[in-house]
Amino acid sequence: MSDVDLAVSRSRRHTARWAAISLGVVLLLFVAVLATRKSAADKQAESPLLGKQAPSLTGSGLDGSQVSLASMHGKWVVLNFMASWCVPCREEHPELVKFTQRHQVADDATVLGVIFDDTQPNVRRFFSELGGSWPVVDDPGGHTALDFGVRGPPESFLVDPNGFVVWKGIGQVNADGLDKLLRQGKARGA
Amino acid sequence: MVLILAVAFAIGARGRSGPVTDAQRVKHIASEIRCPTCRNQSAAESDAAAAKAVRDEIDRRVRAGQSDGEIVAFMVSRYGSDILLKPEGSGVASLVWALPVVAVVVALFGLAVAFRRWRSRPGVDVSAEDRALVERELQREDA
Repeated sequence: MSDVDLAVSRSRRHTARWAAISLGVVLLLFVAVLATRKSAADKQAESPLLGKQAPSLTGSGLDGSQVSLASMHGKWVVLNFMASWCVPCREEHPELVKFTQRHQVADDATVLGVIFDDTQPNVRRFFSELGGSWPVVDDPGGHTALDFGVRGPPESFLVDPNGFVVWKGIGQVNADGLDKLLRQGKARGA
Repeated sequence: MVLILAVAFAIGARGRSGPVTDAQRVKHIASEIRCPTCRNQSAAESDAAAAKAVRDEIDRRVRAGQSDGEIVAFMVSRYGSDILLKPEGSGVASLVWALPVVAVVVALFGLAVAFRRWRSRPGVDVSAEDRALVERELQREDA
C-alpha cells in the first residue's frame, strides 16, 4: 500500500471515529433528556388559559341540579374532563376519590367533573361502580371542552380559589401530585 | 380578444374572492382548524363530536358578526396555535416556512462551491516514471 493510500485510509478511519463519537454524544443527550423528564402525573401541559381566569362553566349535574364553577369560588378546584369509556379515566378515578377524601375535613379543595363525549346514564353507572361524590357537569355539545381547549379525556385543570387556571395536565392525575400542586399554589399565595 | 381577457379576469377575480354565504364561511374557517380529537383532519372534514363542537362554535360566532380572524383567534386562545392546520407565519412558527427555503439556499450554495472547486482543481503532475509505467502496461496488454 502506497503512502497516499495509507494517508487516505487513516483519514477515513479518523472521520469515522469522530462521526461515531458525535452520534454517541447525541444519543446520550437524547437518553438523558428522556430520563430526566418529569412523570406525566404532575407534568404541566401547555395551555393558553394558564394564568388566566377560567372560562365560565355551568351545566346540569348528574342529579339534575345546576352546577357552576363560579359557585366553588374560594376553593381549589380540580376540573376533570372524563368519560366512562376512557380506560385512563377509570384508572385515575380512585386517585381523585383519595384526593377528595383528604380534603373533606379542611373543605379547601374539590373535584368538578365534566363529561366528555359520553352520556349521563353511563357516567352515573361509572360513579356508582367506582365511588366518588363530587359534582359532574354534562357537556352535550362539547362546548365546555372547547372553551377549555380539551382534546380528549382525561385532562385536568387546577383552578385556584380566585378562579384562575394555574395548571393543566393531560393524562392521568394522582392524589399526591395534585396535593403537591396545591402546596406550591398555596406557597405562591393564591 | 379583449372580451376573452375580460371574462377570464372576471372569473379569476371571482375565484379569488373568499366564501360569501355564512355556511361557506363556516366551512372555510373550519377547514383551517384541526379537529381537536383527530390527527391531521380538519374540523370541516371530521365526524368526531369535538369537530362538530368546533363547527357549531364557528357558526355561532359567524352569526354573531365576528370576522374570520376573530374566530380563528378565539380557537387559538383556547387550544394554542397548533390547532391551526397551517402554521402561523409569525414568531417561532414561521421557522416552518423559513427553514426549507434556508435549506435549499444553503444546498445550492454548497453545490456551487463544490462545482467551482472541482473545476479549478489543478492538473495532476505526471512524472516520467508514471509515463513509463503506463507505457509498459499498455505494451503488455497489446502483447
